[in-house]
Amino acid sequence: MNVRSFFSAYGLRMWVSAFFLFLYIPIVVLVIFSFNESPTLYQWGGFSTHWYAELFQSAEVWQALRNSLYVASFATFLSVTMSLLLVYFGSNLRRFFPLFYGSLVIPEVVLAVGLLGFFSLFTVMLGFSTLIVGHTLLGLGYAVPIVSSRYDELEKHLTEASLDLGASYVQTFFRIILPLLVPALVAAAILVFVISLDDFMIAFFCAGGTTQTLPLYIFSVVRAGGSPMLNALSTVLLCFGSMLIMLIAALRMRKIFMFGS
Amino acid sequence: MNNKSVRTQFAKQFSFFMAIPAFVWVFICFYIPLLTIIARSLLTRSPGEIIPHFTPDYYAQLFELKYFHVIWRSLLLAFGTSVSCLLIGYPVAYFLARKARSAKNILLFFLMLPFAVNLLVQAYAWFFVLGKSGLINQALMMLGLISDPLNILNTPVAVYIGMIYCYVPFMIMPLYAVLEKLDQRFVEASFDLGADWFKTMWRVVLPLSMPGIVTGFFLVFIPVFGEFVIPNLLGGNKQMFVGSLISFYFLITRNLAVGSAFTCLSGIIVLTAAVFTYWRLKKLWA
Repeated sequence: MNVRSFFSAYGLRMWVSAFFLFLYIPIVVLVIFSFNESPTLYQWGGFSTHWYAELFQSAEVWQALRNSLYVASFATFLSVTMSLLLVYFGSNLRRFFPLFYGSLVIPEVVLAVGLLGFFSLFTVMLGFSTLIVGHTLLGLGYAVPIVSSRYDELEKHLTEASLDLGASYVQTFFRIILPLLVPALVAAAILVFVISLDDFMIAFFCAGGTTQTLPLYIFSVVRAGGSPMLNALSTVLLCFGSMLIMLIAALRMRKIFMFGS
Repeated sequence: MNNKSVRTQFAKQFSFFMAIPAFVWVFICFYIPLLTIIARSLLTRSPGEIIPHFTPDYYAQLFELKYFHVIWRSLLLAFGTSVSCLLIGYPVAYFLARKARSAKNILLFFLMLPFAVNLLVQAYAWFFVLGKSGLINQALMMLGLISDPLNILNTPVAVYIGMIYCYVPFMIMPLYAVLEKLDQRFVEASFDLGADWFKTMWRVVLPLSMPGIVTGFFLVFIPVFGEFVIPNLLGGNKQMFVGSLISFYFLITRNLAVGSAFTCLSGIIVLTAAVFTYWRLKKLWA
Protein backbone atom coordinates (compact mmCIF):
# COMPACT_ATOMS: atom_id res chain seq x y z
CA MET A 1 0.00 0.00 0.00
CA ASN A 2 1.53 3.30 -0.97
CA VAL A 3 1.50 6.44 1.09
CA ARG A 4 -1.28 8.09 -0.80
CA SER A 5 -3.91 5.43 -0.53
CA PHE A 6 -3.03 4.77 3.08
CA PHE A 7 -3.33 8.43 3.91
CA SER A 8 -6.58 9.00 2.10
CA ALA A 9 -8.07 5.78 3.41
CA TYR A 10 -7.19 5.95 7.11
CA GLY A 11 -4.77 8.69 8.04
CA LEU A 12 -6.88 11.67 7.14
CA ARG A 13 -10.00 10.24 8.74
CA MET A 14 -8.12 9.41 11.92
CA TRP A 15 -6.64 12.89 12.04
CA VAL A 16 -10.03 14.52 11.61
CA SER A 17 -11.62 12.26 14.23
CA ALA A 18 -8.83 13.05 16.67
CA PHE A 19 -9.31 16.73 15.96
CA PHE A 20 -13.00 16.62 16.71
CA LEU A 21 -12.30 14.68 19.89
CA PHE A 22 -9.87 17.42 20.91
CA LEU A 23 -12.55 19.99 20.12
CA TYR A 24 -15.33 18.25 22.01
CA ILE A 25 -13.83 16.47 25.02
CA PRO A 26 -13.61 19.66 27.12
CA ILE A 27 -17.11 20.72 26.14
CA VAL A 28 -18.66 17.33 26.82
CA VAL A 29 -17.04 17.16 30.25
CA LEU A 30 -18.21 20.69 30.98
CA VAL A 31 -21.79 19.78 30.06
CA ILE A 32 -21.70 16.52 32.05
CA PHE A 33 -20.52 18.32 35.16
CA SER A 34 -23.37 20.81 34.89
CA PHE A 35 -25.64 17.92 35.93
CA ASN A 36 -23.49 17.14 38.93
CA GLU A 37 -25.30 16.76 42.24
CA SER A 38 -22.27 17.52 44.37
CA PRO A 39 -21.13 21.11 44.91
CA THR A 40 -17.45 20.14 44.62
CA LEU A 41 -16.51 21.00 41.11
CA TYR A 42 -14.66 17.92 39.88
CA GLN A 43 -16.21 15.09 41.89
CA TRP A 44 -19.17 13.30 40.38
CA GLY A 45 -21.93 12.97 42.96
CA GLY A 46 -24.94 11.76 41.01
CA PHE A 47 -27.30 13.31 38.50
CA SER A 48 -29.27 16.41 39.31
CA THR A 49 -30.55 19.53 37.62
CA HIS A 50 -30.57 21.72 40.65
CA TRP A 51 -27.75 23.92 39.33
CA TYR A 52 -30.05 24.92 36.52
CA ALA A 53 -32.75 25.82 39.00
CA GLU A 54 -30.22 27.86 40.92
CA LEU A 55 -29.02 29.50 37.72
CA PHE A 56 -32.51 30.68 36.79
CA GLN A 57 -33.02 32.08 40.27
CA SER A 58 -29.69 33.88 40.45
CA ALA A 59 -30.36 37.60 40.53
CA GLU A 60 -26.76 38.36 39.66
CA VAL A 61 -26.87 36.35 36.43
CA TRP A 62 -30.15 37.88 35.34
CA GLN A 63 -28.87 41.37 36.04
CA ALA A 64 -25.69 40.69 34.06
CA LEU A 65 -27.73 39.24 31.20
CA ARG A 66 -30.05 42.25 31.23
CA ASN A 67 -27.06 44.62 31.07
CA SER A 68 -25.53 42.64 28.23
CA LEU A 69 -28.75 42.63 26.22
CA TYR A 70 -29.24 46.33 26.83
CA VAL A 71 -25.74 47.20 25.59
CA ALA A 72 -25.97 44.78 22.67
CA SER A 73 -29.32 46.17 21.48
CA PHE A 74 -28.07 49.74 21.49
CA ALA A 75 -24.78 48.85 19.83
CA THR A 76 -26.55 46.80 17.17
CA PHE A 77 -29.07 49.50 16.41
CA LEU A 78 -26.44 52.22 16.20
CA SER A 79 -23.92 50.33 14.12
CA VAL A 80 -26.42 48.85 11.66
CA THR A 81 -28.21 52.18 11.17
CA MET A 82 -24.96 54.03 10.72
CA SER A 83 -23.64 51.51 8.23
CA LEU A 84 -26.88 51.64 6.23
CA LEU A 85 -26.68 55.43 6.07
CA LEU A 86 -23.00 55.25 5.24
CA VAL A 87 -23.40 52.73 2.44
CA TYR A 88 -26.38 54.43 0.92
CA PHE A 89 -25.44 58.07 1.15
CA GLY A 90 -21.71 57.71 1.04
CA SER A 91 -21.39 55.86 -2.24
CA ASN A 92 -18.90 58.41 -3.49
CA LEU A 93 -16.84 57.95 -0.33
CA ARG A 94 -16.40 54.26 -1.12
CA ARG A 95 -12.63 54.43 -1.21
CA PHE A 96 -12.59 55.44 2.44
CA PHE A 97 -14.56 52.40 3.61
CA PRO A 98 -11.39 50.44 4.50
CA LEU A 99 -11.00 52.94 7.35
CA PHE A 100 -13.72 50.96 9.11
CA TYR A 101 -11.78 47.71 9.04
CA GLY A 102 -8.91 49.04 11.13
CA SER A 103 -10.59 47.97 14.34
CA LEU A 104 -10.63 44.37 13.11
CA VAL A 105 -6.91 44.00 12.48
CA ILE A 106 -5.41 45.29 15.69
CA PRO A 107 -5.38 43.20 18.89
CA GLU A 108 -8.50 43.86 20.90
CA VAL A 109 -6.52 44.86 23.95
CA VAL A 110 -5.10 47.85 22.04
CA LEU A 111 -8.60 48.90 21.05
CA ALA A 112 -9.72 48.61 24.66
CA VAL A 113 -6.84 50.55 26.19
CA GLY A 114 -7.16 53.16 23.46
CA LEU A 115 -10.79 53.72 24.40
CA LEU A 116 -10.00 53.69 28.11
CA GLY A 117 -7.19 56.21 27.67
CA PHE A 118 -9.42 58.40 25.54
CA PHE A 119 -12.29 58.32 28.03
CA SER A 120 -9.97 59.07 30.90
CA LEU A 121 -8.58 62.04 28.97
CA PHE A 122 -12.00 63.67 29.15
CA THR A 123 -12.87 62.08 32.51
CA VAL A 124 -15.91 60.35 31.06
CA MET A 125 -17.73 58.21 33.62
CA LEU A 126 -17.28 54.57 32.69
CA GLY A 127 -20.49 52.61 32.41
CA PHE A 128 -23.23 51.78 29.95
CA SER A 129 -22.51 54.68 27.63
CA THR A 130 -18.83 53.89 27.23
CA LEU A 131 -19.63 50.21 26.66
CA ILE A 132 -22.16 51.08 23.97
CA VAL A 133 -19.66 53.42 22.32
CA GLY A 134 -17.01 50.69 22.24
CA HIS A 135 -19.31 47.95 21.02
CA THR A 136 -20.75 50.17 18.30
CA LEU A 137 -17.24 50.75 17.04
CA LEU A 138 -16.59 47.01 17.05
CA GLY A 139 -19.91 46.44 15.27
CA LEU A 140 -19.21 48.98 12.54
CA GLY A 141 -16.20 46.97 11.46
CA TYR A 142 -18.45 43.97 10.78
CA ALA A 143 -21.64 45.70 9.62
CA VAL A 144 -20.08 48.01 7.01
CA PRO A 145 -18.55 45.24 4.83
CA ILE A 146 -21.70 43.08 5.00
CA VAL A 147 -24.10 45.88 4.07
CA SER A 148 -21.85 47.45 1.45
CA SER A 149 -21.14 44.16 -0.34
CA ARG A 150 -24.89 43.45 -0.53
CA TYR A 151 -25.51 46.96 -1.85
CA ASP A 152 -22.91 46.40 -4.55
CA GLU A 153 -24.60 43.16 -5.57
CA LEU A 154 -27.99 44.81 -6.10
CA GLU A 155 -29.08 44.96 -9.72
CA LYS A 156 -28.77 48.51 -10.96
CA HIS A 157 -31.63 47.89 -13.38
CA LEU A 158 -34.04 47.81 -10.47
CA THR A 159 -33.08 51.31 -9.42
CA GLU A 160 -33.15 52.57 -13.00
CA ALA A 161 -36.50 50.93 -13.71
CA SER A 162 -37.95 52.43 -10.57
CA LEU A 163 -36.76 55.92 -11.50
CA ASP A 164 -37.85 55.48 -15.12
CA LEU A 165 -41.30 54.50 -14.04
CA GLY A 166 -41.62 57.73 -12.17
CA ALA A 167 -40.80 56.87 -8.56
CA SER A 168 -38.99 59.56 -6.62
CA TYR A 169 -35.65 58.92 -4.97
CA VAL A 170 -37.32 58.66 -1.62
CA GLN A 171 -39.84 56.13 -2.92
CA THR A 172 -37.06 54.15 -4.60
CA PHE A 173 -35.14 54.00 -1.36
CA PHE A 174 -38.04 52.81 0.75
CA ARG A 175 -39.74 50.56 -1.82
CA ILE A 176 -36.78 49.08 -3.70
CA ILE A 177 -33.43 49.45 -1.98
CA LEU A 178 -34.40 48.99 1.64
CA PRO A 179 -36.41 45.75 1.16
CA LEU A 180 -33.59 44.27 -0.89
CA LEU A 181 -31.06 45.17 1.78
CA VAL A 182 -33.06 43.54 4.57
CA PRO A 183 -31.23 40.17 4.44
CA ALA A 184 -27.88 41.94 4.77
CA LEU A 185 -29.18 44.16 7.55
CA VAL A 186 -30.50 41.15 9.46
CA ALA A 187 -27.23 39.27 9.01
CA ALA A 188 -25.23 42.29 10.16
CA ALA A 189 -27.54 42.82 13.13
CA ILE A 190 -27.23 39.20 14.28
CA LEU A 191 -23.46 39.29 13.97
CA VAL A 192 -23.05 42.60 15.80
CA PHE A 193 -25.46 41.53 18.52
CA VAL A 194 -23.54 38.31 19.14
CA ILE A 195 -20.18 40.06 19.08
CA SER A 196 -21.39 42.59 21.59
CA LEU A 197 -22.83 39.87 23.85
CA ASP A 198 -19.57 37.93 23.67
CA ASP A 199 -17.17 40.79 24.06
CA PHE A 200 -14.99 40.65 27.11
CA MET A 201 -11.99 42.90 26.48
CA ILE A 202 -13.80 46.19 25.88
CA ALA A 203 -16.17 45.46 28.76
CA PHE A 204 -13.22 44.65 31.05
CA PHE A 205 -11.60 48.01 30.36
CA CYS A 206 -14.54 50.31 29.67
CA ALA A 207 -17.38 49.09 31.91
CA GLY A 208 -16.12 50.67 35.08
CA GLY A 209 -16.79 49.13 38.46
CA THR A 210 -20.55 49.16 38.51
CA THR A 211 -21.77 47.75 35.21
CA GLN A 212 -21.49 44.00 35.00
CA THR A 213 -22.10 42.22 31.72
CA LEU A 214 -22.43 38.48 31.30
CA PRO A 215 -18.82 37.94 30.12
CA LEU A 216 -17.56 39.98 33.06
CA TYR A 217 -19.62 37.84 35.41
CA ILE A 218 -18.27 34.65 33.81
CA PHE A 219 -14.71 35.97 34.09
CA SER A 220 -15.09 36.75 37.77
CA VAL A 221 -16.48 33.27 38.49
CA VAL A 222 -13.76 31.51 36.50
CA ARG A 223 -11.09 33.59 38.24
CA ALA A 224 -12.51 32.40 41.55
CA GLY A 225 -12.09 28.79 40.41
CA GLY A 226 -15.43 28.16 38.73
CA SER A 227 -18.71 26.81 40.04
CA PRO A 228 -21.22 24.15 38.95
CA MET A 229 -23.67 26.94 38.24
CA LEU A 230 -21.23 28.30 35.69
CA ASN A 231 -21.27 24.88 34.02
CA ALA A 232 -25.03 25.14 33.79
CA LEU A 233 -24.77 28.65 32.39
CA SER A 234 -22.18 27.48 29.84
CA THR A 235 -24.48 24.65 28.75
CA VAL A 236 -27.34 27.08 28.24
CA LEU A 237 -25.08 29.39 26.25
CA LEU A 238 -23.93 26.42 24.18
CA CYS A 239 -27.53 25.61 23.28
CA PHE A 240 -28.14 29.20 22.24
CA GLY A 241 -24.93 29.15 20.22
CA SER A 242 -25.98 26.05 18.31
CA MET A 243 -29.40 27.52 17.58
CA LEU A 244 -27.74 30.65 16.34
CA ILE A 245 -25.47 28.79 13.93
CA MET A 246 -28.45 26.89 12.58
CA LEU A 247 -30.34 30.15 12.17
CA ILE A 248 -27.45 31.69 10.23
CA ALA A 249 -27.14 28.57 8.08
CA ALA A 250 -30.88 28.66 7.39
CA LEU A 251 -30.75 32.35 6.48
CA ARG A 252 -27.85 31.78 4.13
CA MET A 253 -29.65 28.91 2.47
CA ARG A 254 -32.70 31.05 2.03
CA LYS A 255 -30.56 33.75 0.54
CA ILE A 256 -29.04 31.34 -1.95
CA PHE A 257 -32.49 30.01 -2.68
CA MET A 258 -33.92 33.46 -3.31
CA PHE A 259 -31.12 35.28 -5.03
CA GLY A 260 -28.97 32.53 -6.40
CA SER A 261 -28.65 31.74 -10.10
CA MET B 1 -27.00 56.03 -16.94
CA ASN B 2 -24.61 53.63 -15.30
CA ASN B 3 -24.80 52.24 -11.83
CA LYS B 4 -22.37 54.70 -10.37
CA SER B 5 -24.09 57.80 -11.61
CA VAL B 6 -27.47 56.58 -10.37
CA ARG B 7 -25.98 56.16 -6.96
CA THR B 8 -24.18 59.45 -7.04
CA GLN B 9 -27.49 61.08 -7.88
CA PHE B 10 -28.98 59.32 -4.90
CA ALA B 11 -26.29 60.57 -2.63
CA LYS B 12 -26.84 64.08 -3.93
CA GLN B 13 -30.61 63.94 -3.67
CA PHE B 14 -30.46 62.94 -0.08
CA SER B 15 -27.97 64.65 2.08
CA PHE B 16 -24.46 63.45 1.70
CA PHE B 17 -24.04 64.39 5.33
CA MET B 18 -26.05 61.35 6.33
CA ALA B 19 -22.90 59.30 5.74
CA ILE B 20 -20.95 61.40 8.21
CA PRO B 21 -22.00 59.83 11.56
CA ALA B 22 -20.22 56.58 10.82
CA PHE B 23 -17.01 58.39 9.88
CA VAL B 24 -17.20 60.62 12.93
CA TRP B 25 -17.74 57.56 15.13
CA VAL B 26 -14.81 55.64 13.74
CA PHE B 27 -12.52 58.65 13.97
CA ILE B 28 -13.47 59.65 17.48
CA CYS B 29 -13.54 56.13 18.89
CA PHE B 30 -10.76 54.48 16.97
CA TYR B 31 -8.26 56.72 15.22
CA ILE B 32 -8.11 59.48 17.79
CA PRO B 33 -7.69 56.99 20.69
CA LEU B 34 -4.86 55.32 18.78
CA LEU B 35 -3.22 58.70 18.30
CA THR B 36 -3.82 59.39 21.99
CA ILE B 37 -1.87 56.27 22.88
CA ILE B 38 1.03 57.36 20.70
CA ALA B 39 0.90 60.94 21.99
CA ARG B 40 0.74 59.83 25.61
CA SER B 41 3.79 57.66 25.17
CA LEU B 42 5.85 60.49 23.71
CA LEU B 43 4.65 63.64 25.43
CA THR B 44 4.82 64.86 28.97
CA ARG B 45 3.75 67.95 30.78
CA SER B 46 5.62 69.28 33.75
CA PRO B 47 3.56 71.10 36.40
CA GLY B 48 2.52 74.54 35.30
CA GLU B 49 3.22 73.87 31.66
CA ILE B 50 0.33 74.08 29.20
CA ILE B 51 1.83 72.72 26.00
CA PRO B 52 3.23 69.20 26.49
CA HIS B 53 6.76 68.58 25.33
CA PHE B 54 8.47 65.58 23.81
CA THR B 55 10.15 63.03 26.04
CA PRO B 56 11.75 59.66 25.39
CA ASP B 57 11.57 58.84 29.12
CA TYR B 58 8.68 56.38 28.98
CA TYR B 59 10.38 54.30 26.33
CA ALA B 60 13.65 54.51 28.22
CA GLN B 61 11.90 53.04 31.26
CA LEU B 62 10.97 50.05 29.14
CA PHE B 63 14.51 49.46 28.03
CA GLU B 64 14.95 46.57 30.39
CA LEU B 65 15.45 42.92 29.68
CA LYS B 66 12.30 41.83 31.52
CA TYR B 67 10.04 43.83 29.19
CA PHE B 68 11.67 42.34 26.13
CA HIS B 69 11.22 38.93 27.71
CA VAL B 70 7.47 39.57 27.87
CA ILE B 71 7.35 40.61 24.22
CA TRP B 72 9.57 37.72 23.17
CA ARG B 73 7.40 35.24 25.06
CA SER B 74 4.25 36.59 23.39
CA LEU B 75 5.89 36.46 19.97
CA LEU B 76 6.96 32.89 20.57
CA LEU B 77 3.50 31.93 21.77
CA ALA B 78 1.83 33.64 18.80
CA PHE B 79 4.22 32.01 16.36
CA GLY B 80 3.96 28.58 17.97
CA THR B 81 0.16 28.77 18.08
CA SER B 82 -0.10 29.85 14.44
CA VAL B 83 2.20 27.09 13.24
CA SER B 84 0.47 24.46 15.38
CA CYS B 85 -2.96 25.61 14.22
CA LEU B 86 -1.74 25.35 10.64
CA LEU B 87 -0.35 21.84 11.12
CA ILE B 88 -3.42 20.64 13.00
CA GLY B 89 -5.94 22.50 10.89
CA TYR B 90 -4.66 21.93 7.37
CA PRO B 91 -5.61 18.22 7.16
CA VAL B 92 -8.97 19.02 8.74
CA ALA B 93 -9.65 21.81 6.25
CA TYR B 94 -8.51 19.56 3.43
CA PHE B 95 -10.85 16.81 4.56
CA LEU B 96 -13.79 19.17 5.00
CA ALA B 97 -13.29 20.83 1.66
CA ARG B 98 -12.43 17.88 -0.54
CA LYS B 99 -13.24 14.55 1.07
CA ALA B 100 -16.28 14.92 3.30
CA ARG B 101 -19.21 14.85 0.94
CA SER B 102 -22.47 14.30 2.75
CA ALA B 103 -21.00 14.87 6.20
CA LYS B 104 -19.65 18.29 5.24
CA ASN B 105 -22.41 20.49 6.61
CA ILE B 106 -22.70 18.65 9.88
CA LEU B 107 -18.92 18.71 10.38
CA LEU B 108 -18.84 22.43 9.62
CA PHE B 109 -21.57 22.91 12.20
CA PHE B 110 -19.55 21.03 14.79
CA LEU B 111 -16.48 23.02 13.89
CA MET B 112 -18.29 26.31 14.41
CA LEU B 113 -20.13 25.35 17.59
CA PRO B 114 -17.32 25.80 20.14
CA PHE B 115 -16.52 29.01 18.33
CA ALA B 116 -20.05 30.28 19.01
CA VAL B 117 -19.62 30.15 22.75
CA ASN B 118 -17.61 32.68 24.62
CA LEU B 119 -13.82 32.42 24.75
CA LEU B 120 -14.12 32.46 28.55
CA VAL B 121 -16.32 29.39 28.49
CA GLN B 122 -13.90 27.62 26.16
CA ALA B 123 -11.06 28.36 28.55
CA TYR B 124 -13.14 27.25 31.52
CA ALA B 125 -13.93 23.93 29.83
CA TRP B 126 -10.21 23.11 29.92
CA PHE B 127 -10.23 23.32 33.72
CA PHE B 128 -12.03 19.98 33.67
CA VAL B 129 -9.45 18.38 31.43
CA LEU B 130 -6.20 19.87 32.71
CA GLY B 131 -7.04 20.49 36.36
CA LYS B 132 -5.58 18.66 39.34
CA SER B 133 -8.49 16.22 39.40
CA GLY B 134 -9.22 16.76 35.73
CA LEU B 135 -9.60 14.17 33.02
CA ILE B 136 -5.92 13.81 32.11
CA ASN B 137 -4.73 13.41 35.67
CA GLN B 138 -7.47 10.91 36.52
CA ALA B 139 -6.77 8.88 33.42
CA LEU B 140 -3.05 8.82 34.09
CA MET B 141 -3.58 7.90 37.72
CA MET B 142 -6.01 5.15 36.81
CA LEU B 143 -3.43 3.72 34.45
CA GLY B 144 -0.91 3.88 37.26
CA LEU B 145 1.49 6.03 35.28
CA ILE B 146 1.67 8.70 37.93
CA SER B 147 0.96 8.67 41.65
CA ASP B 148 0.55 12.40 42.24
CA PRO B 149 -1.55 14.62 40.00
CA LEU B 150 0.44 16.60 37.48
CA ASN B 151 0.29 20.34 37.57
CA ILE B 152 -0.79 21.28 34.07
CA LEU B 153 -3.14 24.14 34.78
CA ASN B 154 -1.39 27.46 35.41
CA THR B 155 1.59 26.50 33.30
CA PRO B 156 2.65 27.71 29.83
CA VAL B 157 1.55 24.33 28.46
CA ALA B 158 -2.05 25.03 29.47
CA VAL B 159 -1.87 28.48 27.87
CA TYR B 160 -0.52 26.97 24.66
CA ILE B 161 -3.22 24.27 24.51
CA GLY B 162 -5.93 26.81 25.24
CA MET B 163 -4.66 29.13 22.52
CA ILE B 164 -4.66 26.36 19.92
CA TYR B 165 -8.12 25.29 20.99
CA CYS B 166 -9.61 28.76 20.74
CA TYR B 167 -7.87 29.90 17.59
CA VAL B 168 -7.82 26.81 15.36
CA PRO B 169 -11.19 27.67 13.72
CA PHE B 170 -9.69 30.99 12.58
CA MET B 171 -7.07 28.98 10.72
CA ILE B 172 -9.42 26.35 9.31
CA MET B 173 -12.02 28.69 7.83
CA PRO B 174 -9.75 30.53 5.35
CA LEU B 175 -7.98 27.26 4.48
CA TYR B 176 -11.33 25.63 3.85
CA ALA B 177 -12.45 28.51 1.63
CA VAL B 178 -9.32 28.22 -0.51
CA LEU B 179 -9.21 24.42 -0.68
CA GLU B 180 -12.86 24.18 -1.63
CA LYS B 181 -12.30 26.34 -4.68
CA LEU B 182 -9.13 24.53 -5.74
CA ASP B 183 -9.60 22.96 -9.15
CA GLN B 184 -9.51 19.18 -8.95
CA ARG B 185 -8.06 19.07 -12.48
CA PHE B 186 -4.74 20.43 -11.20
CA VAL B 187 -4.48 17.50 -8.83
CA GLU B 188 -5.43 15.02 -11.51
CA ALA B 189 -2.98 16.55 -13.95
CA SER B 190 -0.25 16.26 -11.37
CA PHE B 191 -0.96 12.55 -10.88
CA ASP B 192 -1.25 12.02 -14.62
CA LEU B 193 2.12 13.59 -15.16
CA GLY B 194 3.66 11.11 -12.75
CA ALA B 195 3.93 12.98 -9.47
CA ASP B 196 3.31 10.87 -6.38
CA TRP B 197 0.94 11.85 -3.60
CA PHE B 198 3.54 13.71 -1.56
CA LYS B 199 4.83 15.67 -4.51
CA THR B 200 1.31 16.63 -5.58
CA MET B 201 0.59 17.92 -2.11
CA TRP B 202 3.85 19.80 -1.78
CA ARG B 203 4.14 21.22 -5.28
CA VAL B 204 0.50 21.69 -6.30
CA VAL B 205 -2.02 21.79 -3.46
CA LEU B 206 0.08 23.61 -0.88
CA PRO B 207 1.24 26.47 -3.14
CA LEU B 208 -2.32 26.92 -4.41
CA SER B 209 -3.59 27.24 -0.86
CA MET B 210 -1.00 29.88 0.08
CA PRO B 211 -3.54 32.76 0.26
CA GLY B 212 -5.54 30.78 2.82
CA ILE B 213 -2.42 29.95 4.81
CA VAL B 214 -1.36 33.59 4.93
CA THR B 215 -4.84 34.80 5.95
CA GLY B 216 -5.16 32.10 8.60
CA PHE B 217 -1.68 32.79 9.92
CA PHE B 218 -2.43 36.43 10.57
CA LEU B 219 -5.93 35.75 11.88
CA VAL B 220 -4.23 33.67 14.57
CA PHE B 221 -0.93 35.47 15.03
CA ILE B 222 -2.17 39.00 15.77
CA PRO B 223 -4.91 38.21 18.32
CA VAL B 224 -2.82 35.59 20.11
CA PHE B 225 -0.01 38.12 20.51
CA GLY B 226 -2.28 40.48 22.40
CA GLU B 227 -4.41 37.84 24.11
CA PHE B 228 -5.30 38.56 27.70
CA VAL B 229 -8.00 36.10 28.72
CA ILE B 230 -6.27 32.76 28.15
CA PRO B 231 -2.93 33.58 29.83
CA ASN B 232 -4.93 35.00 32.68
CA LEU B 233 -7.30 32.07 33.18
CA LEU B 234 -5.30 29.04 32.07
CA GLY B 235 -1.87 30.42 32.91
CA GLY B 236 -3.00 31.69 36.29
CA ASN B 237 -1.31 34.99 35.39
CA LYS B 238 1.97 33.39 36.49
CA GLN B 239 3.76 34.55 33.37
CA MET B 240 3.27 37.96 31.88
CA PHE B 241 2.33 38.23 28.24
CA VAL B 242 1.88 41.42 26.27
CA GLY B 243 -1.88 41.55 26.86
CA SER B 244 -1.55 41.01 30.59
CA LEU B 245 1.23 43.58 30.99
CA ILE B 246 -0.76 46.22 29.08
CA SER B 247 -3.80 45.63 31.26
CA PHE B 248 -1.56 45.69 34.34
CA TYR B 249 -0.35 49.18 33.44
CA PHE B 250 -3.76 50.51 32.51
CA LEU B 251 -5.92 48.96 35.21
CA ILE B 252 -3.72 48.22 38.20
CA THR B 253 -0.83 50.66 38.37
CA ARG B 254 -2.79 53.21 36.30
CA ASN B 255 0.46 54.30 34.74
CA LEU B 256 -1.07 55.26 31.42
CA ALA B 257 2.08 56.85 29.98
CA VAL B 258 4.35 53.83 30.39
CA GLY B 259 1.45 51.56 29.44
CA SER B 260 1.00 53.52 26.22
CA ALA B 261 4.70 53.33 25.51
CA PHE B 262 4.64 49.58 26.02
CA THR B 263 1.56 49.25 23.78
CA CYS B 264 3.30 51.19 21.00
CA LEU B 265 6.52 49.26 21.42
CA SER B 266 4.85 45.87 21.24
CA GLY B 267 2.65 47.08 18.38
CA ILE B 268 5.71 48.06 16.38
CA ILE B 269 7.38 44.74 17.12
CA VAL B 270 4.35 42.63 16.17
CA LEU B 271 3.93 44.60 12.94
CA THR B 272 7.58 44.09 12.07
CA ALA B 273 7.29 40.39 12.85
CA ALA B 274 4.14 40.09 10.75
CA VAL B 275 5.67 41.90 7.76
CA PHE B 276 8.84 39.84 8.04
CA THR B 277 6.86 36.58 8.18
CA TYR B 278 4.74 37.63 5.22
CA TRP B 279 7.86 38.44 3.24
CA ARG B 280 9.47 35.10 4.13
CA LEU B 281 6.33 33.17 3.24
CA LYS B 282 6.09 34.92 -0.09
CA LYS B 283 9.72 34.22 -0.85
CA LEU B 284 9.34 30.57 0.07
CA TRP B 285 6.77 29.93 -2.62
CA ALA B 286 7.71 32.54 -5.19
